[in-house]
Amino acid sequence: MYTLHLLNKSPDHPRFEACLAAVSADDVLVLTENAVLGLACVNETLPLKSYALESDVKARALQDAVAASGAKTIDSATLVALTETTHRIMSW
Amino acid sequence: MNVLIVIDRAPYGDWSGRESLDMAFSLAAFDKPVALLFRGAGINWLRHGQLPEDIGQKSGERNLAAAPIFGVSDLLADQQAASDYRLTLDQLLPAASLVEVRPELYRQYDHVISL
Amino acid sequence: MTQTSPLSYTLVISGAPYSSQAPQTALAFAKAATAAGHKLDRVFLYGDGVYLASSLVTAPSDEVNWTETWCDFLCDTRTPATVCIASALRRGILNESEKKRYQRTASNLADPFEIAGLGDWVESVATSSRVLYFLPAE
Repeated sequence: MYTLHLLNKSPDHPRFEACLAAVSADDVLVLTENAVLGLACVNETLPLKSYALESDVKARALQDAVAASGAKTIDSATLVALTETTHRIMSW
Repeated sequence: MNVLIVIDRAPYGDWSGRESLDMAFSLAAFDKPVALLFRGAGINWLRHGQLPEDIGQKSGERNLAAAPIFGVSDLLADQQAASDYRLTLDQLLPAASLVEVRPELYRQYDHVISL
Repeated sequence: MTQTSPLSYTLVISGAPYSSQAPQTALAFAKAATAAGHKLDRVFLYGDGVYLASSLVTAPSDEVNWTETWCDFLCDTRTPATVCIASALRRGILNESEKKRYQRTASNLADPFEIAGLGDWVESVATSSRVLYFLPAE
């Protein structure tokens, strides 16, 4: 069973790196709130399955940064769907 | 169902660690398996010799010393954090054990909670 | 996404309104989860999250009042909402009976929140199919 990691801290918060270090290859990462700023950070390599909450991306004018980061944007409905397929959910 | 509660903030400067301990003790009181992991600045919760009386707070050390009696199974200390804060095993509470924090550690638990 | 049978959720909010986005992110999730047919077992406010339950929250007229918005949602969906008693009392969130017990001058717990112990949360962890935490920004 994979783990769904929910990260809301900005990239300069110690939790950000701690979270990335805990994400395994088959895990899913969702960036919310200030964590979406990680999309714009040149020194952040995001895991393979990374998503960012669209409303937080739009609020912070990061639409252009999404494509370059390799992440995809999702809405809250899709976030709910991601919680349907695993009970292992960890907030950072 | 087993739960890991992670404390990564330093003691006394804010209340999140104390409220994390309350969660652990509550689970234990209801006979739910629970362990604590101290990583990052949170490792300082395990430092032996805390005297917080002058800042008007209760001793986290005394709380944690009672954790095994109340049924908290493990006090896990991130060895990287211990080395970052120059803490050796003999400077930590006797009940603490050093672990390497890897994704596999988190996967041993059904719920991993950090406030 | 695959369609699954309805699940039961507990949402724990430990970030305060106006010092974090936690109540907003949690509300968007709660609305999406109920829209998808899932059940909300409980919303549990913990730590600074208890400030969401203060009926004295008074937002400027051009800002959302997150307490009112949350309370409307909780009433509309009949979702049980618990405020942790230890977190609440030390932060000055009291209902009528705690006000009397501690002989305070006022109570301020917003309806429909109720004050209870961490036992409610333990029960949720043991019985809800999913437990999600909405954390402070720092």
